[in-house]
Amino acid sequence: MTRIYSSVILLKLFWKGRFNRMKLGTTKWQRNLFIATFILPTFLFFCVFTIYPVAQAMYYSLFDWSGSSDNKKFIGLDNFKEMIHDPIVWNAMGNDYFLVIGKIIGIMILATFFAIALTRFRFKLSNFFRSIFFIPNVISVVVIGVLWNFIYNPQIGFLNSFLSLFTKDKVDITWLGFTNHTIWMLLPPAIWAGIGFYMILLIAAIQSIPESYYEASGLEGAGQWTQFRYITLPLIWEQMKVSILNIMMTTLNGSFVIVLIMTNGGPDNSTQVMGSYLYQMAFSQYHFGYGAAIGVLILIASLITTVIMQKLMHQETIEVS
Amino acid sequence: MVSKTRLAALGIAALLAVAPLAGCGSSKDEATKQPEPAKSEEPAKTTDEGTKTATDDGAKKLTGDFEIQYFVGGYGDKWWKKVIADFQAANPDLKIKESGGPKINDQMKPRWVGGNPPDFVYIDGPNLNDRQMVEDGQLEDLTDWLKDAKNIDGEKITDILAQPAQEFDGKVFDIPLVLNSWGVFWDKALFQEKGWEEPTDWQSFLAVSDKIKAAGTTPFIHTGKYPYYINGAILYPAIVSANNNDISILQDMAASKVEAFQQPAVLTALKKIVELRDKGFIDKASIQINHTDSQMLFLQHKDAFIPNGLWLPNEMAKDIPGGFSFGFIPSVTQDAGGKVVANTSTANVAIAKNAKNKDAAKAFLQFVFSKAQASQWAELSGAPSNIKGDISASNAPSHVKDAAKYLTDANTVVVPAITFNADVDKAMQDATDALTISKITPEQWVERVVEVAKKAAK
Repeated sequence: MTRIYSSVILLKLFWKGRFNRMKLGTTKWQRNLFIATFILPTFLFFCVFTIYPVAQAMYYSLFDWSGSSDNKKFIGLDNFKEMIHDPIVWNAMGNDYFLVIGKIIGIMILATFFAIALTRFRFKLSNFFRSIFFIPNVISVVVIGVLWNFIYNPQIGFLNSFLSLFTKDKVDITWLGFTNHTIWMLLPPAIWAGIGFYMILLIAAIQSIPESYYEASGLEGAGQWTQFRYITLPLIWEQMKVSILNIMMTTLNGSFVIVLIMTNGGPDNSTQVMGSYLYQMAFSQYHFGYGAAIGVLILIASLITTVIMQKLMHQETIEVS
Repeated sequence: MVSKTRLAALGIAALLAVAPLAGCGSSKDEATKQPEPAKSEEPAKTTDEGTKTATDDGAKKLTGDFEIQYFVGGYGDKWWKKVIADFQAANPDLKIKESGGPKINDQMKPRWVGGNPPDFVYIDGPNLNDRQMVEDGQLEDLTDWLKDAKNIDGEKITDILAQPAQEFDGKVFDIPLVLNSWGVFWDKALFQEKGWEEPTDWQSFLAVSDKIKAAGTTPFIHTGKYPYYINGAILYPAIVSANNNDISILQDMAASKVEAFQQPAVLTALKKIVELRDKGFIDKASIQINHTDSQMLFLQHKDAFIPNGLWLPNEMAKDIPGGFSFGFIPSVTQDAGGKVVANTSTANVAIAKNAKNKDAAKAFLQFVFSKAQASQWAELSGAPSNIKGDISASNAPSHVKDAAKYLTDANTVVVPAITFNADVDKAMQDATDALTISKITPEQWVERVVEVAKKAAK
């Protein structure tokens, strides 16, 4: 009898356990379904619009293909071998990294300066200036390029006219036509166009710092510089890191627009960046395979640079904290 | 209740998951529907029917779809609209689709790559190169057809062409529709007012440039952003002049023959650009400005001469100041007493190899290569057509009539349209830019281009 009773209890426990497991399983399944609902469509779009084109570019980089023919000739890694001997590729890569470094330094210094000026030095027109500094961000890069072309125009441009005010003879410098180093002239428009967004990002970061930190440090006798160095900078460092990485990536991938508009890569390919050279080779000189190989190079360069910069800036974060 | 909530959750989840898929599916369906077999076969089928129901005069009745791709640039699109309307009126059963615009070459590229091109193409503007299209096997071989083809007036097309079609390994794939010429422009009114002589050769060009410079005006401006302007109007005619007016040197250069670039004539021509540079005749702004900016400065009398093509007055029509009168000469680089060299720049028309309505495309070719359309082209686009004929009585602008006179003059060396290999062309453009800013010497220009030509010839 006891044995029967025990068996009934065991059976009850078994069914209860199974029921609980079932209940638990359903909850888990629902949770997974819920997560999948958000992830799957995004993943699908990511595959279609990012992974697939990247894979296609990698595939085409192995071919000698004009981009408009039915015939593609498989040449393995020959496009990459040719790139090593192409001086324009190296020059373009140098220009890209010049713009990356120049933009990071220029944008970060000015954006931080403006963000602090508009938040810490409370003055009446701060909202007005915030809008003014943000305007370049809502203007298309094409318009920015055309605008700065007018500024740099040697005959009717603002810059030469302005400089002529201080000289006896009319200044006629060809700002975008130097035999070398013309790439320097693309830095001011690129920085000018980028400040606003990062300034807003840093303003938001500064405004999230509790005012009491500044009050307490003020009571201890800390000046504006000390407060910036020991309170503001460490506490906005995360946003600065994101900004630096974003500037780096957008420059490597997107600076070709301003180059195409302002110099078309010239004179004599001196302002070519990898993106503009890719466009030139793929669409104007009918070497689509070679253009795709340059695209793969941009991808690899972006990945390596991102990893290196993250490592470098990660160490600095530890130092600060 | 629980089951209802679960059902609702499942429903939303399924909807969210399937919605994007459904979107993809429908767009894919649309994409695959576009070139569906029934539609693509339609023109051929109806053309066959058309053949059976030939009209009284023996011409085929054209039916089905017929797509025309045309670039809209300096010549505008007035003529295209007119000729297509005329062709439509003559063939009411044909469904004509126009694919035109300033960016049409880029927009249509995927169609060409995908094997679904338009039937008829006007090859003009950026990123469309006939040599490349021939190499890619995209154009219909018109060699045999053109031998006997007659236009709608019954004239043999080859007899009325001012410039013959370019041959690619002895075959014809496209026919020049527009006969344009590179050359040098100035303002006749300004020259008259200032007492400057209009140039007729290199010596007179240099002499008047000296006067112009002394008067405080920069003699010469070009677009350094697009150096093919200075190459087309100055360098190539100079090469032909220095080669005893023998145009074969340019044809050899177009075929990427290395020895052609090493001829002394090339160096002689390059030294003429160096002479312009060293005398301070070239506006310093040139190197960094685009064609529109250079043309604006020319129209504002900041500069006296500009190398350009006959489309210039039409392109800048809205900005031409009152009293401005275009003077034009195809070349200034010939020595005194030498022949003028007209480096023509034709815009060609062709039929796609994968065209679906080749009959309509050929009929359209017969339609456009007529004297009536030639006159209409000159009036509506402001440039000479490639069809022989006297346009002096037409309403064409005076500079077009001047140019037409040069092109038909026995004392003019007319260079037929030449398309360089894209790599060689780019190398020549870059090198000329570098030459104008003293970055390289003429000898280095040759070295650079020879290197690229060697690679292109492989």
